[in-house]
Amino acid sequence: MLERIFGFYIPKGGNNWLLLVLPLLLSLAGIYSHRFILQWVFDGELAYIDFLKDHFFLRWAFLALAEIFVALIAIVVSKLEQQEETRKREMMMNELSREAELTQLRQQLQPHFLFNSLNSINALVVSQPKKAREMVLQLSEFLRGTIRKDHHQWLSLEEELNYLKMYLEIERVRFGHRLEVQFELAEDTKSMLLPQLLIQPLLENAIKHGLYGVTGEVKITLQTRKESNYLFLKITNPFDPEAASTQGTGFGLSSIERRLFLLFGRKDLLETKIENQTFSVELKIPQLK
Amino acid sequence: MIKTLIIDDEPLAAGIVQEFLAEFSQFQVLEVCQDGFQGLKAIQHHQPDLIFLDIQMPKITGFEMLELIDSPPAVIFTTAFDQYAVKAFDAMAIDYLLKPFSQERFSKAIEKFLAQANEPRVEEREGLNQLAEKSNRLVVRVKNEIKIIPIHEVTYFEAEDDYISIHTHGGKYLKKMTMKSLEDAMDPGKFARVHRSFIVNLNQITQIEPFERDSYLLKMRDGAQVPVSKTGYSRLRQVLGI
Repeated sequence: MLERIFGFYIPKGGNNWLLLVLPLLLSLAGIYSHRFILQWVFDGELAYIDFLKDHFFLRWAFLALAEIFVALIAIVVSKLEQQEETRKREMMMNELSREAELTQLRQQLQPHFLFNSLNSINALVVSQPKKAREMVLQLSEFLRGTIRKDHHQWLSLEEELNYLKMYLEIERVRFGHRLEVQFELAEDTKSMLLPQLLIQPLLENAIKHGLYGVTGEVKITLQTRKESNYLFLKITNPFDPEAASTQGTGFGLSSIERRLFLLFGRKDLLETKIENQTFSVELKIPQLK
Repeated sequence: MIKTLIIDDEPLAAGIVQEFLAEFSQFQVLEVCQDGFQGLKAIQHHQPDLIFLDIQMPKITGFEMLELIDSPPAVIFTTAFDQYAVKAFDAMAIDYLLKPFSQERFSKAIEKFLAQANEPRVEEREGLNQLAEKSNRLVVRVKNEIKIIPIHEVTYFEAEDDYISIHTHGGKYLKKMTMKSLEDAMDPGKFARVHRSFIVNLNQITQIEPFERDSYLLKMRDGAQVPVSKTGYSRLRQVLGI
């Protein structure tokens, strides 16, 4: 508001000299009119009129200084307001882009997964129509989950795992002969909370690298434990260092890291480890008090 | 009878190929393989006329498997990825089926195969390595074993007739391919063709010294010496920024 009012009066750039000249002129006019009024009021008191004349310039200087001072304060205030406004706008922009980024990161669906699942359904339609229908429903549920808007909402580990199981069911139809996923959950972690869809990409990553990194059976484990105020979640998959230089390593993880940073402002919540023939990733989720 | 193999790591995906192929009585599926290793063995064993090949498979991709076969059979790719399409046709595939596909689309691929089966197939391997993305590993066959070499372990490549010898810290391997296709497959920021018969890993160079008139010699980290031609030298200077 103030900014808009002052906007018209604040000298810009090369007009800075106005800041000095305008108060000077105004104060001069003020002093003159002042003098004439006083002369008219005190008509006849010669001593006082002489005194007025003597101190004309002094009074002008005083008034001018005061006016310049007021002008400066007005400018400083309006500048501060302007800054505040810009800061707010910046914050809003940041918040918006953060939201957008979070949504986008959450929705990064692997088209490969989608098309291959559709292909499995295509294969099942004739031979096992019931199974095909089941898979269509699971896939739809899963997709619906990935486009859920509200990422502020946290879910309990148990709820999130129900969602994960849907995803795993689909993967099991595709790779059931090779894939085994084992859950080892500490009882006290089941009701702990975590942001939606944080584990799924980690699990997907583990499955992908397990399935395409080694031949034969692939065993993936998901373990949870509670430590002080954190939910610890660890996913391991078999790993062959020789074949590790395949394409697409790391992407899943870097987007999770980014999400964690956007959610918690921390970069130390994800840890990966390679031991012998296994790759493990551990996630630390701070619990809200 | 047309001898056929299906190589796909998802049984359901292999199943649908079998189901669609049942419409054509002259085809016989000899084996369904679940990865490139099994596929390679089965191809050597059965000498099939046609293979259906998935690309994303355990450990080695369908492309990498094909590279290991001296005279590959006709190939129809089946994959959910379409980023590989260009490469698949370079690899002289008969056709390329994007999952999921219909019986009609499948039949078209089969007709294409039947139409081409009568013509002699050109033994053309150029461009097999033209990846959409630059490769970061090489797959070679050492006797009956398959070895995966991370590209950063390579010191340099040397042309030897129809083969390329791959020199690494761990030893020397042979692979059937051309210098041209190898050069195209390598990241130009990491490898440079310094001579008609040599491509070097820039990170493995320790010294460049003048040799004869207009030619130079590279000393590599493992002690090997690689000759540099005149054009090779100017190319090297360009990538190294000297």
